[in-house]
Parts: sequence; C-alpha cells; structure tokens
Amino acid sequence: MTIHVHEQVHRPRVSDQGFDARTPKVRIYLMGKEYQVPNVLTIMAAIEYAGYRLVRGCGCRAGFCGACSTIYRKTDDYKLYSALACQTLVEEGMYLVQIPFVPAVKSLYDMEEITLTDNVILRYYPEIARCVSCNTCTRSCPQGIRVMDYIQASLRGNIARAAHLSFDCIQCGLCSSRCPADIKHYHVGQLVRRVYETRIAPKSPHLARRIEELDSGVYDEEMNRLMTSSLSELKQRYESRKIEPVSED
Amino acid sequence: MDIKYYPGCTVKTSARNYEASAIAALRYLGVELSELEQWNCCGVVHTLSTDDLMKQLAPIRVLKHVEQCEEREEVVTLCDMCYNTLSQANRLVKDDPAKLKTVNTFMECDDSHGGYTGTVRVVHLLQVLRDTIGFQAIKKKVKYPLRGMKVFPYYGCMLLRPGEVGIDTPEDPTIIGDLMRALGAEVIDDPVKIECCGSHHTVGDRSIVFERIERIIGRARSKGAEAVVLSCPLCRFNLDTRQQEDRTIELPLPVFYYTQLMGVAFGLDEAVLGLNEHRIDPRPLLREIGYQKKGEYGRITT
Amino acid sequence: MKMIRGYPDYMRESIERVERTRAERLKTPYPPMSLAEREVLLHRFHPDFREEQKRPIAFGPSRGLKVNHELANVIESHPLVPSTLNLSQVDYQVDVLIIGGGGAGTVAAIWAVQEGIHPEKVLIATKLRHGDSNSTMAQGGIQAADRENDSPLIHYLDAMGGGHFTNKPELVQALVSDAPRIIKWHESLGVMYDKDEAGNFVENPGGGTSRKRLHSAKDYTGLEIMRVVRDESRNLSVPVIEFAPAVELLMDERGQVAGAVLLNLETKEYVVVRAKATILATGGFGRLHMQGFPTTNHYGATGDGLVLAYHVGAELVDLDSVQYHPTGAAFPPQIAGLLITEKVRGMGATPVNADGELFVYPLEPRDVESSAFIRECYDREKGVITPTGMRGVWLDAPMIDMIHGEGAIREALPAMWRMYERFGIDMTRDPILVFPTLHYQNGGIAIDVDGATTVPGLFVGGEASGGVHGKNRLMGNSLLDFNVFGMRAGISAARYARQVEVGHLSLAHVDRYEELLKDAGIVTDRTSPVLLPEYRGKEALERQLDVLI
Ligand SMILES: Cc1cc2nc3c(=O)[nH]c(=O)nc-3n(C[C@H](O)[C@H](O)[C@H](O)COP(=O)(O)OP(=O)(O)OC[C@H]3O[C@@H](n4cnc5c(N)ncnc54)[C@H](O)[C@@H]3O)c2cc1C
Ligand code: SF4
Ligand code: SF4
Ligand code: FES
Repeated sequence: MTIHVHEQVHRPRVSDQGFDARTPKVRIYLMGKEYQVPNVLTIMAAIEYAGYRLVRGCGCRAGFCGACSTIYRKTDDYKLYSALACQTLVEEGMYLVQIPFVPAVKSLYDMEEITLTDNVILRYYPEIARCVSCNTCTRSCPQGIRVMDYIQASLRGNIARAAHLSFDCIQCGLCSSRCPADIKHYHVGQLVRRVYETRIAPKSPHLARRIEELDSGVYDEEMNRLMTSSLSELKQRYESRKIEPVSED
Repeated sequence: MDIKYYPGCTVKTSARNYEASAIAALRYLGVELSELEQWNCCGVVHTLSTDDLMKQLAPIRVLKHVEQCEEREEVVTLCDMCYNTLSQANRLVKDDPAKLKTVNTFMECDDSHGGYTGTVRVVHLLQVLRDTIGFQAIKKKVKYPLRGMKVFPYYGCMLLRPGEVGIDTPEDPTIIGDLMRALGAEVIDDPVKIECCGSHHTVGDRSIVFERIERIIGRARSKGAEAVVLSCPLCRFNLDTRQQEDRTIELPLPVFYYTQLMGVAFGLDEAVLGLNEHRIDPRPLLREIGYQKKGEYGRITT
Repeated sequence: MKMIRGYPDYMRESIERVERTRAERLKTPYPPMSLAEREVLLHRFHPDFREEQKRPIAFGPSRGLKVNHELANVIESHPLVPSTLNLSQVDYQVDVLIIGGGGAGTVAAIWAVQEGIHPEKVLIATKLRHGDSNSTMAQGGIQAADRENDSPLIHYLDAMGGGHFTNKPELVQALVSDAPRIIKWHESLGVMYDKDEAGNFVENPGGGTSRKRLHSAKDYTGLEIMRVVRDESRNLSVPVIEFAPAVELLMDERGQVAGAVLLNLETKEYVVVRAKATILATGGFGRLHMQGFPTTNHYGATGDGLVLAYHVGAELVDLDSVQYHPTGAAFPPQIAGLLITEKVRGMGATPVNADGELFVYPLEPRDVESSAFIRECYDREKGVITPTGMRGVWLDAPMIDMIHGEGAIREALPAMWRMYERFGIDMTRDPILVFPTLHYQNGGIAIDVDGATTVPGLFVGGEASGGVHGKNRLMGNSLLDFNVFGMRAGISAARYARQVEVGHLSLAHVDRYEELLKDAGIVTDRTSPVLLPEYRGKEALERQLDVLI
C-alpha cells in the first residue's frame, strides 16, 4: 500500500527568507557531503534548502524547544561546536550533523512524597556526585546557561540557586551528550525547579482566597446575569470598564 | 579582617552548624568570613589520582577562580577533606608546570589568559586561628572559660597526611588541643587521635566504621574524656551519627566542632552554634559547665 | 551594506528619530479606540476582511463558513487513507487515545489518570516529540483573575469583548472560573511563575485586558508549563508514541469515534489504535501560512485536527477569523515572523513608525493592533522597509528598562533578548522591527463545556477547538484554554470511556467524505491532513527524481 503523503501541490513555501539568486553562497557539509547554500540562512533553513525534508531535528523553529541540536566543526579550528540549527547562521566550511535525540533516562518520582533534604537531588540522580567540574556542559549549552554551576548547586542542596540558574533550559540535551560523568543535566534541572517551587517558594496568598470565593459561589449570580444579558448591555458594560494603568507597579 | 572561604558541599549540607559556628566565632574575633562568589565541589580526595588529570579539574577550577576572579592569594577551607584535596591538587600543579598547562588548556585558558598560575595558598581555618589570629589573642577574648570540661581532640587523617600538606606534626598534632587549652578546657590526649575513623567505608561497610569508633571512643572515655572535639565533617558523621547507632557503646560521647566550643566560650547563642543538630545531644554536658541557651551565660547575637 | 549594531545604516537614521521622541512617549500615553473606531479599522485593514483571499466551505456541517483558501484547500482534499485499509490488526487497545502531545494533550492525559483510568490505558500519539508544540513556544503568560482588584466577571467581560462578543458564553464562563484553580494546580505541580518575596504573582496587563492578570514565567511561560506537565505525565508513566501523527480517525458501526490510524513517520507503517474515547489536541494551523503570512507556530501546526474532525462530521466554528499577532519579527530575515511576546508591550514598549511617532494605543486587542500596524505600513506608508523588502514598525524595547529599571529586559525577557543577541541586535539599546504574523487559530472544532463534540466519542481541547475565544483570542487565554479544556476533555473522556461499548472498527466515513467531495463538484489531487509543511529548496526540488529506494 503506497500513500503519497508528501505530494501536496498547494503547500505554500515559507515566506521571504531574505535571499535571491545573487546572494553569496557558502560551502557547508551535511554529514560529510558538500552543499552550497545562501550565506544568510540558518543551519536549519540551509539543510532544507539543500533538499532535506526534516522530520526529526525540527520543532519550534524559534529557539524554544531544543529539537534541533546540532554539532559541528569548522575547517580552521579544533573545537567541536554545538548550536541550535534554527537560531544559528551558516558559516563557510561548517561540518554539521544534527543530534535530534539524546537518550537520557528520567527518574520517576511522586512530587508529593519528596521531602526537602540536602541530598534530595542526589537521591534521584546520584550520578551528579560524579561531576568532575570539567565545564563541558556549560560550554556546549546553546542557551548560555551555567550548567556546571546548577549541577554543583544541586549537589550541595542549594535548590533555589540551581532552580534559577537552570530556568532557561530548553532541554535540548547537548550538555548530556557530552558529559564525561554521564549526568542527565536537564532532568536534574527539571526536578530541582519543581522541588523549588513546591517546597521553597512562598505560596500565593490571594489565590486561595479567590478559589474559596469561587467555591462558595459568590460570583454565580452576577456571572449568570452577564451570560444572559443582551448584546447591547454587554457592550455597554464592556465599554465602561475601568482600565488599570500599565505603569502602576 | 576579611577572609574568603571555600565552604565545600558537606559544609553546605550536613555540616551547616560548622559553618554557622565558624562564621559567628570569627565575627566575634573581628574577622569576617565571606563565601567565594562561585565554586564547585572540590572533587573529594578519594578520587584524586595524579595521572588522571580530569580528576584535577575540580580543585584547580576552584583555585583558578580564587586567583583570577576573586584576585586573592589565599583561600580558607573549613572541611578537612576539601583542605586536603585542594592542597594536594595545588601542590601537584605547582610542582609540575606541564600538568598545569594541560589542565589550563583544557579549561580554555593559559597562564596569561585567565588560567591558574599557582599563586594561591590553601589554608585551613585552624591555621588562621593559630597563625594569623593566635591562640593567645583568642584566650584573651574568652568570656566563659570551659573550666573543668575534659575534651579529647581528634585529628583523623586529612589534616595531617600526606606530610607535605599536613598542618601539624603528623604523629603528634597539638593544634586543636592548644586551642582548647586557650578556651580553658582540660585536654585529654591519646595516640588514637591520629587514627582513621573509617572514612568513606561509612557508606559501603559500616562495620569497619563501628570497629574504628569503638576503639577511639573507648580509649578517650577510659582516659576520662567527656567530649570529642574535631574539625572534619566526615569524622563528625562517623563519630557522632554512627556512634549513636552503635549499640555496643553504652555511654556515648558528644562530639563538637572546635568552632562550636569557641562559640560556647565566647558566650554565643545555642541556636547560632547549631547545638541541636547533633545526634548525641551535647547540651546536658554544657549545662553542667553552666552554659545556658541564653541569659546567665551572656548573650551575643551575631 | 554597512551594519551598525545589527542594523543597516539607513535603518539607524530612523532609529535616531525614534530615540528623539522617546522621552515624550514615556510621559504621554495614546488613548485606546472606541468599539466603533475598531470596527472601521478592522474592516479596512485586517486580513480577515480580504474577501478575495477566502471562500466558503463547500460541504459538510460547516458549509458556507468563509475561510482562507489555504484552509478550504485542506478541508476540500481527499483523505490520506482509503476506507479499504486493513484494520484487522489492532496495535493498541486503550480507554483514552489522545492525539497531540502538546499542552492540551498532556494535561488531558494527567486528568484522565486522575479520573481513574489506568495510565497504561491512556495513550498519547503525537506528530513530533512529546512537547514539540505551540504550547512550548508561548512566551508572555497565562490569564487568571486572582488579584483583589480583579474578578472572574471582569475577565469574562474582557474575553467577550476581545472576541467581539461572538464567544460561547458558557465556554468563557468555564474558562474564567477554572482559571484560578488551574494556577493553583500549577503551583502544586511546581510551575515557577514569577513571584515577589511574599509569594504574590508578578502580573502584567495584556492586549485587551482591563486588569493586570497575566502570570508569566519570564518569557518562557509555555515552556515552563509544558515541561512541568510533561514531567508529571512521565512520572505517571503515561505511554507516548512520538513521530506518529494521526492520519484518520476510526469509527464503529454505531457512528462513535473509536480510535485512530497513526502513521509512523520514519517507517511509514500505519498503526491501528482502538479507543473508547478519543481526544483531539492537535493545536493550531499556522504552518498553512494563510495568505502567505509567516507564522509564529511550530513545525507541526498544520491544522490536522480540523481535517480529521470534519471527516467524521464534527462542526467547525469561527474559522472565518484568524489571529495575526501584531508583533512578529520583521528583521533580521532569519527570524522573520517569529513572535515578539506581547509582554514587551505589556511592560511598556510602544510601537512607533519610521518617524518615531506613536500611532496606536499599544495594548489594543490583537486584531485591532495588527490592523493599525498594517495601516501604518501600507496605507500611511510610514513603515520601515527592510533590505529584503519587508515592511515593519518599530517596537521601542529600550523603554522597558527605563520604566522598570536597568536589567528588566534581561530578567523578564531572556528569550527575546537572546533571540536578538544571536543576530547581533541588543534590544536593551535599540528598538526592534515588527510586523503582524500568523499566530493563532481563533476558531476550531465546536465543543461544549465538557470538551465534547457533537460526534460521540470525540473530545477536543486546546487550540484545535472553537467557541471559547469567538473571533479573536486575547493574549494569555490560550495557555489557559489548553489547561482548562485539556482538563475538562480528559475528565469527560475518562467518564465516557467507562460506560461505552465500542463495536467494529470502520473507515466507512472516508467513503462518505469522498461522496461529499464528489457531490460538491471538487476535483483535486490534494490530500490531507498535511502533517508537515514543505520548506525544501525550490532548486533542489526541481531536480528531484521520484525514485523508490
Ligand atoms: C510563539 C507562540 C507564543 C504564544 N504565546 C502565548 C501566550 O503568551 N499566552 C497564551 O495564552 N498563548 C500563547 N500562545 C498560544 C498557545 O501557546 C497555544 O494556543 C496553545 O499552547 C495550544 O495548545 P494545544 O495543546 O492546543 O496545541 P499545541 O501545544 O500546539 O499541541 C498540539 C500538538 O499536537 C501535535 N499534532 C498536530 N497534528 C497532529 C496529528 N495529526 N497527530 C498527532 N499529533 C499532532 C503537534 O505536533 C503538537 O505537539 C502562543 C503561541 C505561539 C505559537
Ligand atoms: S560536563 Fe559533566 S562532569 Fe563536566 S562539569 Fe558538566 S556535569 Fe560536571
Ligand atoms: S542545560 Fe543542557 S539541555 Fe538545557 S539548554 Fe543547556 S545544553 Fe540544552
Ligand atoms: S527547532 Fe526548536 S529550538 Fe530549534
């Protein structure tokens, strides 16, 4: 049985990417094979330009999801670089490969049963004690997060610090693909933040009050009136709303 | 005076009372202990092997930070284990520039660009008390001498061995004992003071630790000691927590950090000193020598 | 072209004009429009009113609904699988099948389990990775009326007015009344919303909201909610099949939805899932690029759920309107169309034209604000034209640090700052260029307050559904929507699954759909759902050989 999923005549191409026939090209190598692509493209757009249809290695296309982890070398230096393909411009002589998946086993836990101790993170991720402080994780993070520091903070039970340091993590896995101590950084960060919010951060005081009001039905009558009021009545009420000013902090 | 200290993981977790009492006692002496802005685990001594440079990254990264970012020549440690690890790593790269270069290159720096150049001195807090402040000066500041209290200073391994990094005579150290005398206590001495507490076997095979502490506590008690005083959080764990778990020890001895006893002698608050965090409650003993939570014994809030 | 801090020098000249009016703009706000003024503006400039871009759907329960050609095309297409597909091998047999592993789907899974379904009897099938979704991309925040000067009633009014009073009242009531409970639930799961030291949420206003009601987690709000609910669903061990989009729903002989056919995107094998209840949580349709607009949406946002639901006879509502977010990036071209969160305006940045003039109240509802930007660029000709020919207006980002203190941008908008920084622009120093971008599918599959459709066994939650937002959604109401209706769909699907009997699996509805196409006179070789957009290089495609290997 053959189903032609891809034969779509009507699909639009992505709009203006800012290049035309005159745009200078650079040479890049996708898994070793050479392609010439306009120099204004992101790595992701360049892979597509070259004729690849992305299934893996592409999610949000905007730097938020971590699906497009990519590693590369350049002809003129020894380093192994890492980047998000959707957020990085191509450069002459890039040797690229995408790493759209990094196996990393997550610990299972019941948040309600976690008690806040100094070793809480170690209990679920004992391997963080293996960190040798090589800082490779920090160097490979496309978000510029101080990954080693949040692992170190988790290790010594400084949950608040680890939670804030790791906050911008998009869970791309690049750090974990390179750690000599086999640490699953982004899962550690996930646990740390949940522990922080549930065990350390102060709880919102007005939330509980509002829920009580809702439960006791204080708004029901007025809500009913709103729901059944005529369009003109509703419009009138809408227009007479008071708008809270922006800068009144 | 302002001193930068490297806390280390243990001090931040199971030995918070060591840190708190150290800060309070030193503040009383007019010295501010301030934590390094940024630090990582020292790497822990038992993983140190001189030919695996990967294992040296952790301690050298700490030293590099002290030297390059905080621009200090000295870093003070509280934990004996951290002291030993940092000192040994420091020695290793000071003696072997090739190794230092390799480590620096790995950290993407060299000695002219943010790399470690080997100028930092690693110092234990006990050394600061002895060599910088001086026990005589401390003695003068004592408000409530620990008169009549019989304490057994226990040293273990990390402060003393290997000899190149030891802070006192390896066979017969006196630094903690001398400090205790300055505080007015009576010092009980015994050669077991330099024997190992069982160290990391506490994780894998407790029986080794039980055997060690039965010997240490037995000897100290037979000489009349009423308490043990020490400086290492791991020794504290073995001698306090494990001692309490050891059913064969009928009359356990409370275990103090030296900084806690300094605090007592200076009349600091019980809460600040973390005396409630011990497994073997030391407070009854302190009550006997007249130390109260607050009040009669004087109160200095930090 | 000479570039200075990320901008060509001719754009710099305009930036200087922006800088000159900044102090004045900080002092003098621009007044909001009246409802009547909004109407006029919308009719003249909103893309929804470009008649030539739209056509009525030709058949089915929503026949006559005028939608963009791009959407009409996928509806008026042949189903991907034939009715003759062999269904004898059932690969998964579950109580609740959830199609779409974004926010709504994951929330639904958690609540189906809470409602007593064993996790092994729940299945999430999703097109890309679990969490690759619009939910992960949401930046600005989520609405909930929990402050003292606010109430669910005001929230209700705001949402209705924003939607031009076309929303279904009972859905809006559910939305605003559940909102504080959802935030509480998030707090208990460990979603790190921005708070002050006393635990009060830091709340910002959004376009069309009359109170500060937007809870955010820096500008990674969606990411933070998504990764927490995903972590929770993993802790519950809910099974997930990734890279396995649904290509058709299954029904039984009684006309109940009874599961779906999935496609393994790697091996191209199909997978048969038999389910007592099925939840569509497939999200939006930005990647259909209505009217050629760039989009903020993720790669898999191709409106599949609408197509699947229409195949089984569900009704589609409010799809005649599409949300264009006023502030898509217009420069540099690599990020064209990507979202600049409304929080940027919420925190005080104002839009200004090429001459540095403020021309609209910064926080009108999105359709109004977008129309004003389009007017400024194409009618009044006061936009900035980029080197690649795109037009845009400035969004004066540096005002934020001036209002909230230095460091506010780096602290509250790290994702935005990072995105521009990657392309050499420092938004703490310079304004950024924006133009409306295709953002949100306002309407969708009609649901009731339980997330149920008119087709038995089929539930919907999140962006795929319609009615909650009427013809225009307010910022922060869709993160709320996927939580409220994801939860409601999960609970009702679980309850439904407990009492239903499923008969023989059938694809007879595919034949019926083909009949409808034929009767409507539609001759086409199009197929749908689309699954993924086509972005391969034209040059490469032209030389491709269709060879089987
Ligand atoms: C850039 C951006 C910023 C936003 N900011 C905000 C904001 O600040 N506040 C706010 O309230 N809202 C915001 N929104 C809107 C909001 O994020 C979405 O409307 C909402 O998250 C939708 O949730 P959902 O679960 O319905 O859909 P999604 O989260 O998109 O999930 C749908 C899932 O279904 C999968 N799927 C699609 N088709 C199939 C198929 N055929 N089979 C299986 N799986 C399939 C998709 O891959 C995806 O994983 C924003 C949206 C975007 C794009
Ligand atoms: S890569 Fe691994 S070992 Fe190296 S610093 Fe990071 S967590 Fe530690
Ligand atoms: S911390 Fe790791 S997983 Fe998170 S963004 Fe950085 S490299 Fe990716
Ligand atoms: S595709 Fe999501 S981060 Fe690049």
